[in-house]
Amino acid sequence: MYYLITLLVYGSVDVIACLGLSLQFGIAGVTNFGFIIFQAVGAYTAAILSLPPDTANGGFQRYVGGLQLPFPLPWIGAALAGAVLALPFTFLVGRRLRGDFAAIGLLVTAVLLNLLVMNYVPLFNGDAGLAIVPAPFQPQGMTTASTTYQWAFAAGVAVLAACVYWYARHMTETPYGRTLRAMRDNDKVADSLGKNLLALRTAMLVVGGAIAGLSGGVLVSFTTVWSPAAWTYAETIVLFAAVIIGGRGNHLGAVLGAVLVPVGFEEVTRLITNANPSLPPNLLPSLQWVAIGLLIALFLWFRPQGILPERRRVIPLPAGAAADGPALPVPQQHLPDPGRVPVPSLPVAGTAVPSQAAASPANPSSAGPGSVTDEPTADVVLQARNVSREFGGVHAVSDVSLSVIRGTLTGLIGPNGAGKSTLLALLAGTDRVSAGQIWYQGQDITGVPAFRRARQGLVRTFQLASEFKRLTVLENLLSAAPGNRGDTFMGALAGKRYWGQDEAAVIAKAAAMLNKFGLEPLANEYAGDLSGGQRRLVEIMRALMADPQVLLLDEPMAGVHPELARRIGDALVELCKDGMTILMVEHELAIMDEYCDPVIVMAEGAVLAQGTMTQLRERAEVVEAYLVG
Amino acid sequence: MSIFVASVGFGLITSAVLAIAAVGFTLQFAVTDVLNLAFAAVMTAGAFIAYWINQMGVSVWLALFVAMAACSALSVALNLVVYSPFQRRGSSPITIVIVSLGMALIIEFGIQAIVGGINVSYTMSQGRTLEAGGLILTTVQLVIIAISLIVMISAHVLLRYTKLGKAMRATAANRALARNCGIRTGRVITITWAVTGALAGLAGTVFAIDVGSFGPTSTDLFVVLILAAVFLGGPGHAYGAMLGAVVIGISTEVSAAYIQPDYKYVIAFVALLAMLAVRPSGLLGARA
Repeated sequence: MYYLITLLVYGSVDVIACLGLSLQFGIAGVTNFGFIIFQAVGAYTAAILSLPPDTANGGFQRYVGGLQLPFPLPWIGAALAGAVLALPFTFLVGRRLRGDFAAIGLLVTAVLLNLLVMNYVPLFNGDAGLAIVPAPFQPQGMTTASTTYQWAFAAGVAVLAACVYWYARHMTETPYGRTLRAMRDNDKVADSLGKNLLALRTAMLVVGGAIAGLSGGVLVSFTTVWSPAAWTYAETIVLFAAVIIGGRGNHLGAVLGAVLVPVGFEEVTRLITNANPSLPPNLLPSLQWVAIGLLIALFLWFRPQGILPERRRVIPLPAGAAADGPALPVPQQHLPDPGRVPVPSLPVAGTAVPSQAAASPANPSSAGPGSVTDEPTADVVLQARNVSREFGGVHAVSDVSLSVIRGTLTGLIGPNGAGKSTLLALLAGTDRVSAGQIWYQGQDITGVPAFRRARQGLVRTFQLASEFKRLTVLENLLSAAPGNRGDTFMGALAGKRYWGQDEAAVIAKAAAMLNKFGLEPLANEYAGDLSGGQRRLVEIMRALMADPQVLLLDEPMAGVHPELARRIGDALVELCKDGMTILMVEHELAIMDEYCDPVIVMAEGAVLAQGTMTQLRERAEVVEAYLVG
Repeated sequence: MSIFVASVGFGLITSAVLAIAAVGFTLQFAVTDVLNLAFAAVMTAGAFIAYWINQMGVSVWLALFVAMAACSALSVALNLVVYSPFQRRGSSPITIVIVSLGMALIIEFGIQAIVGGINVSYTMSQGRTLEAGGLILTTVQLVIIAISLIVMISAHVLLRYTKLGKAMRATAANRALARNCGIRTGRVITITWAVTGALAGLAGTVFAIDVGSFGPTSTDLFVVLILAAVFLGGPGHAYGAMLGAVVIGISTEVSAAYIQPDYKYVIAFVALLAMLAVRPSGLLGARA
């Protein structure tokens, strides 16, 4: 009987811990190799909050605190301690550090903290650990050893685990959860679409830390003891094994993994030990670790998605979106967006200024000034000023100055290695300039990070496939939409009633977009399963969902079927007529001929020339750069 | 003062052991692109292989070579059977790190399953004690320092002056480009696993000689020192790892003389986290 209770409590605690890890690792892609620290701090906190002062029991163990707080304060304290402990680690999870380096930092922290707690006795009684931690509540006339009490405790913990499951799910199935999954699939791209990676990862470290802390608090209330031996760094790997085996990105999988791995292993070990009492004491625990190592490797190879894979989120498209034509109300999704309204140009001397804002591309004489820079006659929306970028001595971009005029579809061509993509990255902020400045809408944005530039309407696409693989096509589009009230931590907590309307509007907008590019039948397919051309299309649509004022496209038509490329080109021209500005890197001269004006030519990291294609063809050095390149 | 000098002596030996491990680890990462957390487990395997041979009555200095050969083979096998297939499939770096942790568990606790949880030590003589200006070293410790120096010089010669070393550096800098230039990167990577695996075996054995008594989990904390040394100099940077090993080795041992010895890892830990936070590319920067 007692055995069943123990099993239920341990199982529930493991489920809670695995759900915390499932949120961090499975949903947000944060590999927290120090997860066990958070469980440990929760356990210690709950212990010292519920224990009497250490002088009270003869001083056989030493610890700080000893507040003797009533239930549920120790458990709340445990969760809070886990959350607070997460804060110092946020510096590891920003945009700059590789995920695997951060994971190693956390792993080493787990090893070190264990060592320190073990050796510093006054804090938590060192190596021996804390004992006789009181049970949470002791009703009158009932001892905590009674079966009724034990069952009540187990049931309470099981309910708590269910609550954590509900919360994790609730959190995941929101626009915010979608953003987390987008970051997991490709953090650089999420950054370029306006997602604040540091804030997202910090939130997940804190939430996961609180859940881990809670699991520790519950555990120590049941076992009444807690020592460094209970939270060696390897315990984290057990939880990782559980989440990987159960199924990453599926909270039910985490629950299953918790039952199979930590609980299942303990049980099997116990059964074998009971059957063969003569085995060396160290053999089975050692083999248990070997088995966990094997299981991790085997599952990652043969079934990386786990036993219960992440399920595909099918979102039905609104009815009516399937039909075509502007007569229907659906394409009216061009909401009055203050950012879209053309900014009144500065009162400069040029006479052609008002017409410039309307920007007809077929106006070579005035739209393509022969000299490149510092001519404030036109409405310059994006400008590079003497920008350079070095990679270990290689000048990928050196001293480039160029201006992009509002409402134009500007082309950027040049041979391989000319620095086009690097320049695009510098403009979008996904890479840092070595020297020079970037100006956007009349402001110096050189130091502004990519996600803030995206929020200001400066959005880029990538040369290499960059779809969020384990999001559907529709989710890819939805993830980029700005201003969804459910796309914040608090908004997601507030529930669907708070953000449902925003979500519906964004879905309608995405449906219209899918309709326009003919990708509706694939709306609910995983983006990673599409063909190369379709993925490029998804990427362009996703960038457009971000409501860009200036769109930076890196070879949007490479590898795309010619017919589809034409469709994309026409759509881009259309967008420019509506006031959008586009800077497009392309290799194909034919595309430049047809759609772009003006065209900027780069070679060997520098701007060679600028003008209409007709003008450029007459210039010997341009032809030479292209023919030689 | 004498405490200080003596602790510098300890620091030199720790640095010597650490340098071998750190150079092996960092070269492995640079050329093969695997952040192999099982490196320390391979070290432990080397230490135990040397122990078993030593138990048969063979001198530990001879056993050392067998341990190196065995760890070399073990590392090549790890790559062929585990890491390389995952890389070919295009697994993310973090997946490979998780797999390498799994491998660390298998090796480390596989050894524990065989030997049990006990600590062992080699049968060997420490040799005469030498003293110079407060610095007290045994002959064995001097030999360890000499071995380490030989390894460092060999690594330098290998990387700077041999065709293989240049191929390794080229592969580290840009694998695809190196292959297009006619370098057989597959072979270079296999050789790198063999060489760095041998270094792991060597480091493991001299580590075990140095600490005297060791067990299957003895290298768990040494990993902190290795990673600190590697990240201090910049991951993938062999000379950086040497510098890092000297800095970490001496600073931890000197600090151990003045604070409680159990806390000596704190310096390495703080150095590691500071590097990760401020300059993940290491003190010596982004050179390949």
